Amino acid sequence: MDVTSITNLQNRDGGWPYRKGGGSSTEPTVLALLAQSVDPGDPQSTERGLAWLRATQRQDGGWPPQPQVPQSTWVTALVALMPRDALGASRYARAIDWLMGQTGKEASLAYKLRNELLGEGGGVIGKHEGWPFFPGAAAWVTPSAISILSLEKARRYQMAGGIQQRIEIGRQFLMDRVCQDGGWNYGRANVLGVEADSYPETTGQALLALHGAPPSKLEKSLAAAQAQARRCQSAEGLSWLQLGLQAHGITAAGPAHVFPYRHVADTSLGILARAALRGRNLFLE
Amino acid sequence: MKHRITRRDFLTVSAGSLALTRCSLVGGRQPQPRVSIVRAAYSQSIYDTVRRLLVEHRVDVRGKRVVIKPNLVEFDPGTTINTHPMLVHATLEGFRAMGAGDVRIAEGPGHRRVTMDLADAAGYFETIPHFEDLFIDLNLDDVSQVLLRDPFSRLNSMYFPNTALGADLLVSLPKMKTHHWVGATLSMKNFFGLVPGSVYGWPKNVLHWAGIDECIADLHATFPRHFAIVDGVVGMEGNGPIQGKPKPVGVLVAGKDLAAVDATCCRIMKIKPTAIRYLMLAAGPRQLDEANILQIGETIPRMQTPFGLIEEWQNIRL
Repeated sequence: MDVTSITNLQNRDGGWPYRKGGGSSTEPTVLALLAQSVDPGDPQSTERGLAWLRATQRQDGGWPPQPQVPQSTWVTALVALMPRDALGASRYARAIDWLMGQTGKEASLAYKLRNELLGEGGGVIGKHEGWPFFPGAAAWVTPSAISILSLEKARRYQMAGGIQQRIEIGRQFLMDRVCQDGGWNYGRANVLGVEADSYPETTGQALLALHGAPPSKLEKSLAAAQAQARRCQSAEGLSWLQLGLQAHGITAAGPAHVFPYRHVADTSLGILARAALRGRNLFLE
Repeated sequence: MKHRITRRDFLTVSAGSLALTRCSLVGGRQPQPRVSIVRAAYSQSIYDTVRRLLVEHRVDVRGKRVVIKPNLVEFDPGTTINTHPMLVHATLEGFRAMGAGDVRIAEGPGHRRVTMDLADAAGYFETIPHFEDLFIDLNLDDVSQVLLRDPFSRLNSMYFPNTALGADLLVSLPKMKTHHWVGATLSMKNFFGLVPGSVYGWPKNVLHWAGIDECIADLHATFPRHFAIVDGVVGMEGNGPIQGKPKPVGVLVAGKDLAAVDATCCRIMKIKPTAIRYLMLAAGPRQLDEANILQIGETIPRMQTPFGLIEEWQNIRL
């Protein structure tokens, strides 16, 4: 696992595909560029990747998952993890504005009113606003965690008001969605009265976004994450757990055997996790 | 005596009426669909069983591109949740033996992003030689937009993986399971895995807002070149599709007509097919009627075993 293997998969247009031979997509391109920033390789590769990102921003300020999909989605939050200077101040500001305008559909007034009239929604669904994967759908853990991390970076540039409040509400959203075992799954802790299990990937992402929270509030979650790391069955899952636990000063002890890295995204995350274990957690810089 | 019409009852009746209307618009008498019910076990014999099924249904795949779509959902070494790897391999070998030009295995799980690792844990790498070269993660595939003609859901168009769109034959290989949102998940619901997570996310929640049953019916209509083999060797009852209990049935159910296959599976599970809303939308009561399906092999009564149902779905019991 090294940055050269990622660079070798870069497409001619400058972006990266999810898998070898595929078209360029926003998510693997951002992860590859982040990996290159902690493990510098070919500067021309990085510049071509950034040029692809700059060129694919949509008029509304967001990014599509793939250029052929004319719709901005949650991947905008990933792009906003990039340094402002790398994207350009104007592009970056429009991306943050787009993110600030997104909420899960369950947070809409119409939905809340409907639930009130039908006597439904007594649970936590819709209590705090998170972010959806796709506009018009409900909020989930992954897009919410990544959006929180992006807005934290944006806050340092003293951008539009309300960012800190949105971060806090987003964090409350994550706390609402914690599973009984202390970890997080995609964002539904209970289905029809039955408790659901958590996943390593989303537990790591949520812990990253909740860095700085009092340890007493996360005691069970941190224990769950460490337990997940020991029995984890994927490189991607383990990388997210290492990143999330490192954000709380904990080095995750992984399982006995090494997992294969299968594509650009999990290889990039592996490089980012390794950097975090050495003390540089790019998601929190 | 007054009958209280529940929302589900109302929707089922409405769906049936709509399906009848569509059937009458199509007009003409469709050939009676054939559905095979065969005894099977997760052993070497499953290779012969599947090959015989494909011959029996005269599936002509010579030179064609075939995409096999199993059901991979969660890490589960017992493969109660996921389609058994031996069935997937037997199907792959079966289509190769029948002269298919290219056979791929493809899936896009709804909750987990780590598809290859799920497949590894489910025994796919161990059972299927060169699995990694044959497999396409539909969540991460390149996509194209498809306009939905006369959609059941609120969606006018959807994005689909190019691998699925380019298939001459899409083979649904689901697990026979109960499902907490739609009652039963079989060959038609298995097409949810064709929806790309890279566009819609994990979960593919856009489909839930647009109507789960309606989206299943849309997917069925969008991919009309299909075949199904349902893994009912060990199914799942109760709180499926993830948290239920193993239900040994010892059966494979196969055919070209997904509605007929799923209706037959429902009867084996002692579930009313007409109570499964997406089947009513996609096919309607006439197509689901047992008298209109030609059963081959074992009979339904001989294989029938009631699948446990959660409280919310007690009303679908046959």
